[in-house]
Amino acid sequence: MREVISVNRVSKRFGMRNALNNVTFSVPRGVVFALLGENGAGKSTLIRSMLGYVKLTSGIISVCGLNPLKNPLEIRRRVGYVSDAPGLYEWMTVAQAGWYVSGFYPEGFLKSYTQKINEFQLPHDSKIRDLSKGMRAKVALSLAMSFDPELLILDEPTSGLDPLVRRSFLESMIDRAAAGQTVFLSSHQIAEVERVADWVAILHKGELQIVAPLEELKSSVTILDLSLRDPLLALPEAMDQMEVLHRTQRGRTLHMMVRGFTPEIEASLSQNANLFEIKAIRPNLEDLYLGFTQPFESQFSHESKAQTSSAAKKSEVA
Amino acid sequence: MQLTIEPNNGIPIYEQLVRQIKYAIAEGVLVPGQVIPSVRDLAKQLTVNPNTVQRAYFQLQNEDVLQSLRGRGVAVCDGAKKQCVVDRQHLLAERLEAVLDEAIRGGLDEDRLRTMFEKALKSAIRTGDRQS
Repeated sequence: MREVISVNRVSKRFGMRNALNNVTFSVPRGVVFALLGENGAGKSTLIRSMLGYVKLTSGIISVCGLNPLKNPLEIRRRVGYVSDAPGLYEWMTVAQAGWYVSGFYPEGFLKSYTQKINEFQLPHDSKIRDLSKGMRAKVALSLAMSFDPELLILDEPTSGLDPLVRRSFLESMIDRAAAGQTVFLSSHQIAEVERVADWVAILHKGELQIVAPLEELKSSVTILDLSLRDPLLALPEAMDQMEVLHRTQRGRTLHMMVRGFTPEIEASLSQNANLFEIKAIRPNLEDLYLGFTQPFESQFSHESKAQTSSAAKKSEVA
Repeated sequence: MQLTIEPNNGIPIYEQLVRQIKYAIAEGVLVPGQVIPSVRDLAKQLTVNPNTVQRAYFQLQNEDVLQSLRGRGVAVCDGAKKQCVVDRQHLLAERLEAVLDEAIRGGLDEDRLRTMFEKALKSAIRTGDRQS
């Protein structure tokens, strides 16, 4: 079994609202996989359903080869999970929390926990209720990692944490990945994701926009800035060979995110008298994220809408 | 060895690592035989994905810049410096071409460009003399 998580045609409806709509992807073993999406995109619902907290409207999720709804205990033995608001018993001390949780896991947990607490420089005897947000997050992460889980799931692990704490979280994630374990995280910190992720998935309003290895995604997509002499003239035919993911037009400049931009297309465009400047740049993750989640702008006329590819239509509808 | 990574500057992170390690060898910051940080250590130091560091190391090993010493990590190859100096020249030539390309697109003619180049070169040599 190569994939650690497989999500197959998953939908979840809350009342009339579709939180997840027909989402399908899988997560290979040994990668850092980042899930991006705006607030309310369905990230937490997806993560919670991987752990069996959410009953799906339709579709199947398998985590480490198990169905989370049918094997919730086995999932907890094998998967470490840090939620964005970790539930810890307020009256326990840091050391007691580790001792309490160690009862659910094989021997070695407490030793590993103590080691992590020391690395994070957490006070053993402080009560959880007296800890800062960053310290609580470190306790939750230590608890989630101390049984050496084959999969670590983090729901916005670094939101609201200071740069130093974030850095130690990232280092822990890197350590897991270097040991060949899988890390699945959701995040809004695009710059962080760009450093640590092998794979990214972008969720927008419950629909999966893209899932791909980050480097492959960056190299397959191009941002084109075209300056037009006359914005009313039809664009050259070479444009139709590319898949348009996003486009906005402001006066005489046309800004596009495309897939399939080749030197041949570039040569053909540079012959066109109506285009007097062509800038092609490699997108960074933020460009990609915005391109996949922003609606097309309204200056875009109806006739040309009909010509764009299916992917373009999809991001319009979404 | 001080490396800096800019994840969003358009050059893949592993490629940035490859270039910076070659530059460090070309400049003599890293010397042949020197053991460099392990994949895990460098990944943590730079907070980048370890698979990315691994990919850069693999590429440098394929180009005979780095070699894996069994049980002792990864070290700079004996003949690496000469090759890295050449590679650095290629990279510089590429950047120079990009600047020239921009200038020509911007409508500068050959004579004007040559004057600008001579002037920039003279000023760079003067700065270099003052520093050495």
